[in-house]
Amino acid sequence: MAITVQDFLDEGAERLSLSVIAGEEFLDNKLLEIAMNRPGLALTGFFQYFADKRLQIFGLAEFTYLKSLTEKEKRKRLQGLFEQQIPGIIITRNRKASAEILELAEVFKVPVIRTPMVTMNFVNESTVLLEKLTAPRERIQGTTMEVMGVGVLLRGDPGIGKSETALSLIERGYSLVSDDVTEIRRTSRGRIVCWANEITRYHMEIRGLGIIHVPSLFGVASIRRQTELDVVIDLKPPSGDEDRTGVHPDTVELMGVEIPCITLPVRSGRDMANIVEVAALNQKLKELGHDAAKELDDKVISRLTRGRVSHG
Amino acid sequence: MVDDILTKKFKVINEYGIHARPAALIVRAAGKYECDIFIEKDGNKVSCKSIMGLMTIEGYPGSTMQVSASGTDAQEALAEIEELFVNKFYED
Repeated sequence: MAITVQDFLDEGAERLSLSVIAGEEFLDNKLLEIAMNRPGLALTGFFQYFADKRLQIFGLAEFTYLKSLTEKEKRKRLQGLFEQQIPGIIITRNRKASAEILELAEVFKVPVIRTPMVTMNFVNESTVLLEKLTAPRERIQGTTMEVMGVGVLLRGDPGIGKSETALSLIERGYSLVSDDVTEIRRTSRGRIVCWANEITRYHMEIRGLGIIHVPSLFGVASIRRQTELDVVIDLKPPSGDEDRTGVHPDTVELMGVEIPCITLPVRSGRDMANIVEVAALNQKLKELGHDAAKELDDKVISRLTRGRVSHG
Repeated sequence: MVDDILTKKFKVINEYGIHARPAALIVRAAGKYECDIFIEKDGNKVSCKSIMGLMTIEGYPGSTMQVSASGTDAQEALAEIEELFVNKFYED
């Protein structure tokens, strides 16, 4: 699904201080390519390989160049650009749009948007924003915590104790990302990023207490806006067939990305926060190349076979 | 065995939509039953047993929500949720 100029505006209006100065009724134009283009070459009249599906940025260079042209020539060049059916124009540094631009925008149905940012910063920020906007996203059930830099998604049936475990982790100094409902998106690098829904962000529901606002109670260090997911922890009632060695770790697929998954049986009196903390640490260790379960298993196998088999 | 999924659509007819109090009522009702029960709007689906979920679903007044339940007592659970919607969550 293609995003529109309006989507870009909604997402970036505040952060990029965007304001529409012309062609407001054409904000439905589609952005078929997710990037920005500086139309310098096009303004000289060279349209081969012109990126006509991108937002066009008018910065200092474009304006200075236009200034060097005669009025008649300037109008001709601008018209040539608009005839390419560009989706929209962004003017940086809050420059005033000339009368020709405003007029052509109406004729060719192109929205013109202005920002006070300098072009370089604007391009950097808006590229990140556009990627975020177009990344596939989903909403899933689960509580997300960041534990020592490790993104942990706690899942499990309602009432199993996800929020309570999260609360204990917060008390240990770790950070809440989202409670019970987590928004996820896949980045272009194939990682899953978790964050909270805007409405309920940083709130938690604790049975018996109701809804609490985490940073008010525990300080700003207790929250994180988003985190990259490293491990999924499923809280389950004890079943008896839990993994006892960790030699064959499970994974779970989220948006096409394989994430390590640990199933933890919940028994009353068991300190879940402590176990989640260790699970996160263990995950970190594995990423550093140490797999304790595998190393021990290799050692045992080597001993049992008197060194005939040594795993690498 | 896979249970059949019972689905029903409800309209939000109370003045403020699904805010904290209605959400709590739905969670309390759904929590009494064994079955899995979900509420869905605009492609967003959350458990009816989750307060946070219900508050993020954006149940504006006048919007239509789809509730689906599967499990042994799905029928009863759905009926109780329906009662809440029809009675405007006992507001006003």
